[in-house]
Amino acid sequence: MIRPVLARRERVVPATQAAGFVLGVVVALILGAILLWVSDHSPAEVYERMFDSAFKGTDSLSRTLERATPLALTGLSVAVAGSMGLWNIGAEGQMMAGAIVATGVAMMADGLSGPLLIALMMVSGVVGGMALMIGPALARSHLRVSEIITTLMLVYVAIRVVEWLETGPWKDPESFGFAVIEPVPEQAALPGLFGRANIGMLIALGLLLVFWLAVSRTAWGYELRLAGSSPDTARYAGVSLRRKVLTALLLSGGIAGLAGAVQLTGSAARLESGLSNGYGFAGIIVAALALMRPSGVAVVAFVFGAVQVGGQSIQTLGVSSAIADILQAMILFGALVAVVFFNYRIQWSGPGGGSSIAESGEPDLAGEVA
Amino acid sequence: MAKKFLLKLFVVVATLALVVAGCGNDDDDAAPEPAPAPATEAPEPEPAATEAPEPEPMATEAPMDDEVVAAFVFVGPVGDAGWTWAHDQGRRFAEEQTGATTLFVENVPEVAEDFRAVVVDFIENEGADVIFGTSFGYMDPMEELAGEYPDVVFEHASGFKMNDTNFGNFFGRMYQPRYLSGMAAGAMTETNQIGYVAAFPIPEVLRGINAFTLGAQRTNPDVEVHVNWTFTWFDPALEGDTASALLEAGADVIAMHQDSTAPGIAAQEAGARWVSYNSDMSAFAPDAYITAPVWNWGPYYARIIEAVGAGTYSPGAYWGGMDDEIVTLAPPADDVPAEVIDEVIEVWDQIVAGTWDVFTGPITDQDGNVVVAEGETMDDGAMLGMGFFVEGVVGSADPS
Repeated sequence: MIRPVLARRERVVPATQAAGFVLGVVVALILGAILLWVSDHSPAEVYERMFDSAFKGTDSLSRTLERATPLALTGLSVAVAGSMGLWNIGAEGQMMAGAIVATGVAMMADGLSGPLLIALMMVSGVVGGMALMIGPALARSHLRVSEIITTLMLVYVAIRVVEWLETGPWKDPESFGFAVIEPVPEQAALPGLFGRANIGMLIALGLLLVFWLAVSRTAWGYELRLAGSSPDTARYAGVSLRRKVLTALLLSGGIAGLAGAVQLTGSAARLESGLSNGYGFAGIIVAALALMRPSGVAVVAFVFGAVQVGGQSIQTLGVSSAIADILQAMILFGALVAVVFFNYRIQWSGPGGGSSIAESGEPDLAGEVA
Repeated sequence: MAKKFLLKLFVVVATLALVVAGCGNDDDDAAPEPAPAPATEAPEPEPAATEAPEPEPMATEAPMDDEVVAAFVFVGPVGDAGWTWAHDQGRRFAEEQTGATTLFVENVPEVAEDFRAVVVDFIENEGADVIFGTSFGYMDPMEELAGEYPDVVFEHASGFKMNDTNFGNFFGRMYQPRYLSGMAAGAMTETNQIGYVAAFPIPEVLRGINAFTLGAQRTNPDVEVHVNWTFTWFDPALEGDTASALLEAGADVIAMHQDSTAPGIAAQEAGARWVSYNSDMSAFAPDAYITAPVWNWGPYYARIIEAVGAGTYSPGAYWGGMDDEIVTLAPPADDVPAEVIDEVIEVWDQIVAGTWDVFTGPITDQDGNVVVAEGETMDDGAMLGMGFFVEGVVGSADPS
């Protein structure tokens, strides 16, 4: 039977790709305008508000950057695993785990000076994220248990742990019985840059740069990508797939944990069950749109942050939250479709012909000697 | 409104259909004669679709300077029939009463960035003079924003923070109508076992469960109230499942501290009875419904908006009771015995008159310790920090 498959294009010019991204967003905006018109809103007014709230003036821009920061970190987290064909679906939970450990450390070391405490909390965040990832990483590397399932399931475990801490051992004695954890020490608040933007943004940018260099410019990064795209070749070249899977997943968990610590000290006042706010799941979309490349994550996270700020903002115009959600989803979906079609083409093939997305990217650990 | 929506939807669908038909026919040589017709017709309606027509003026039009703009931030959907719906009814009432412009945004997560984004827009783009935040989790960002916008009034439902100038909090003594609903429920149970679907083990919820239990014991000394925790305010599936579990364990009446109607639907399916919460939800499970302790936020909202308009606002920590009508009991089902209703009304009158309140001794906790001695009444501080279950409740007040 002849069926359509997606085949990777041989040459992808970055300029065309960027143009495709823009085209996808524009098409989505036109469709969105129809949706708005049908639901009795002025598309011009709504889009103007969306744009202004995300970009106009330093305050608006700082709101976009505030959101882009956790999105960039979770996007990078997913991308690091994704660059070798692994899917970390649980960045949301690793964020929580990072925030939990960072909160615990802050409680024990609240006498430290600001910079020292912040540094310690960032490291604790990484440790927390990695800790939640140890199980899925070992299960994946040694038992070939799908990391998609295990990382996802641990998200709910992490959120339940926060609820337990809120109502039990960490309940703030000064909260009149309300189930809240005490706020993080004042000196642990990340220093602000302008408006709502804080130095968490610089941490994210720095880390993106480090991983961009590591993935594209070092032997380690080459092996990582090789292990992802062609496991057999990697094995012949003497690359230990097991170790690569372990490192990629643990790093991925650690970065998501850092995102949790940044969110805790940057935007939130205290650890609470809503802290991760969907950023971990959104990171999957960010990484997919960025084609798992750290360089793309920064741009996509910024755009995504703007779409979120805009989507929230138009609701004060009277646009219902359902319409606002649909609009955001359409913009992201438009961009995603465009990115896919600018990197892949449809090929009609018979059984066994053509290389498809599904046939590449899955590291096959069969036959690996420990 | 609905007609206009359908008309527009039709225009869009028709346009798309014609365009698609036109494209299809271009490729199809075997197409019968009328092929060109749709292709030429197709573009006609299109300008309508792309050109943004002026919609009728929206509720958010720039207001006059002397008119108060009140903005509400809701944690759930206004269509939840529960918590947020009740607040939205209050908003509508206040708008009608005061003539103020009211705005709202629903489904705003209890996260600083989200709450701030909405509130800053309300203030800077819509000229909001007063912000009502209707969920506990908005407290920290609300306190911060109150400092940043000293000319705007911030009113927070269910929290405990405030300042001296522009940030107050408000709540209601829901335990009073809870007690009355317990009296009705106690009279209706035949198995003497009532299931209580409860959100979080916090003082507000514990107070409600205790008041309900004391009320049920008044009409039925043998009654037991079995509590199951859901750790969510709004999750219809989980709330329904939890109610079903309690029913299977022997309960024949379900009470709840939840925001959806799912426990009532589960009760009706099992042939059991139901005390709803937040609003009169009888329409959702008419056979199960007994009565409901409900919120009535409108008068308070109207008072605050009027005070803001008159420049007389000063923040407080408001905790109103049935005497202020911020909380009340919804009409009971027809089959609640008349003598029970008479007794409920008698107690209601005592509460409103201030001659008696729910947590009047003797009250013993689950372990048999006397918490409130005979003749004494619990003070507000102790009620606000309540952390125990009264005798007769089955379950743990401290499940973690």
